[in-house]
Amino acid sequence: MPSLREVESDLRRALLGGDDAPARTRVRGDGLEPAARLAIYRHHVVTTLTAALQATFPVVCRLVDERFFAYAAARYIQVEPPSGPCLFEYGAGFADFLAELPACRSLPYLADVARLEWAMQRALHAPDATPLPIRALQGVAPDLAASLTLTIDPSVTLLSSRYPIDRIWRANQADEPEPAVVDLADGGTRLEIRRCGDDVVFRAVDPPVFAFRHALACGADLAAATAEALAADPALDLGPALATLFGDGLPIALGRTPSTPGDDPCQRQP
Amino acid sequence: MIPGGAAGTGWVGVGLRAPHVAEILAARPPVGWLEVHTENYLGGGPAPRALDRIRREHPISLHGVGLSLGSAEGLDRAHLARVVDLVKRVEPALVSEHLSWSIAGGAYLNHLLPLPYTEESLALVAAHVALAQEALGRPLLVENPSSYLRFRHSSIPEPEFLAELARRTGCSLLCDVNNVFVSCCNFDQDPFAYLDALPAAAIGEIHLAGHAENEADGRIILIDDHGSRVSDEVWALYARALERFGPRPTLIEWDTDIPALSVLLDEARRAEAAIARSRAEGGRRALAA
Repeated sequence: MPSLREVESDLRRALLGGDDAPARTRVRGDGLEPAARLAIYRHHVVTTLTAALQATFPVVCRLVDERFFAYAAARYIQVEPPSGPCLFEYGAGFADFLAELPACRSLPYLADVARLEWAMQRALHAPDATPLPIRALQGVAPDLAASLTLTIDPSVTLLSSRYPIDRIWRANQADEPEPAVVDLADGGTRLEIRRCGDDVVFRAVDPPVFAFRHALACGADLAAATAEALAADPALDLGPALATLFGDGLPIALGRTPSTPGDDPCQRQP
Repeated sequence: MIPGGAAGTGWVGVGLRAPHVAEILAARPPVGWLEVHTENYLGGGPAPRALDRIRREHPISLHGVGLSLGSAEGLDRAHLARVVDLVKRVEPALVSEHLSWSIAGGAYLNHLLPLPYTEESLALVAAHVALAQEALGRPLLVENPSSYLRFRHSSIPEPEFLAELARRTGCSLLCDVNNVFVSCCNFDQDPFAYLDALPAAAIGEIHLAGHAENEADGRIILIDDHGSRVSDEVWALYARALERFGPRPTLIEWDTDIPALSVLLDEARRAEAAIARSRAEGGRRALAA
């Protein structure tokens, strides 16, 4: 008699598009080929996970059309099935997968659009956080300010792209009957994506502000983040940059060590 | 608390799905209770915030699809901890899961997959149910699955497996009457005999839903798609379940092609009427005896 572990391993292989011969030998026909019974389960697994990806990446789906999306999703599900049962967390690697998919080479911006949609999905479900008022800085001794780190609202992603992905995204909303023409030669963009109240929003930010916030979100201290911002714009005035950072409600805690390595926002950058 | 009044109202709940959240919040429809899928509320943001508001008006049941009680590789403790946190936050009237597995080799397959019914499976699922109940600090309801295949080496009939699981762990059973019908039809078995084999005292909740009829190689296979009204056959089976188990909190589930909330409430009224009829008949039988 096979062990439960063997049975589940055989079924997993059959459902994820691998060899279904071992699973077939375990299954009673009951008036139907075992392969047909396994196919019922495989169909459910692939269609429901494809629907989950489609819900998270609607603009990618619109850009490549539903049939190609279903093909790409089925391949992705095979190589990277969900690692846990919360489907709103599924799809972290979909952008990288699309970037490597030969059939997508003619759409060089596609992976970055997927990164934008993933950042929006993360923002929607990120833990709730309370912004820190700027007066929290008053208690920081001046000689410690340079080594101060700020924990940024977990819904925030700072995403840069060589393509105008914000305009591509807006032109492909379901309520846009005729997608506007977006010229790829218009160049790239630097976006800040986050949740405000119940809504996910994104906006383009200037290079020095992007560099400053991106560095902080990666766990850099104020001195290092300031250096990044000044590299982008030597004329940047740090006072207003810090004031608007707090005004926008991004910092949620002060620290002196880098934030948890498990969820390093920099790992999410292209 | 579930259920409600002595007149039989409040026994029946409906599955709360995203398209109905705003209407439920605004209109506060007369429904006994609401059931949500646990895994949709384990993050932050608007969904759990809406649930926080809804739970002030309606009793909530948390119905999990992700514990994977039948996984040979063990329970995902991190996931269980998230469920425990949600249970503390929502204080649900009922917490339920499935007799199935979904995780193998670290992959979540997004399906309530069938178990071989063996002593090995029974011991493993019982250990996982005990572990989950210990972490939750309360009994779990375990639901019978809808099945499209059986394993050659299964040696225990499903209702006996469930009865023994309840006996060993003290868990309650969630009897999904549509699943009973779907599985029994798919394996040419008698759904009434299935109900008769379940331990009445252990039944803590009933599910009702619609199913689809598909054809595979010339044979009709019923698919548990929760995408239509409850079928007449399942209503008949529900009447038998009430007769045998007594009135139980009952849920109308609808997950695909979700209709207007009024359709769900209409199905809920039909279930309430079935409970009222069953109680009246039970009373008449008691008087006659």
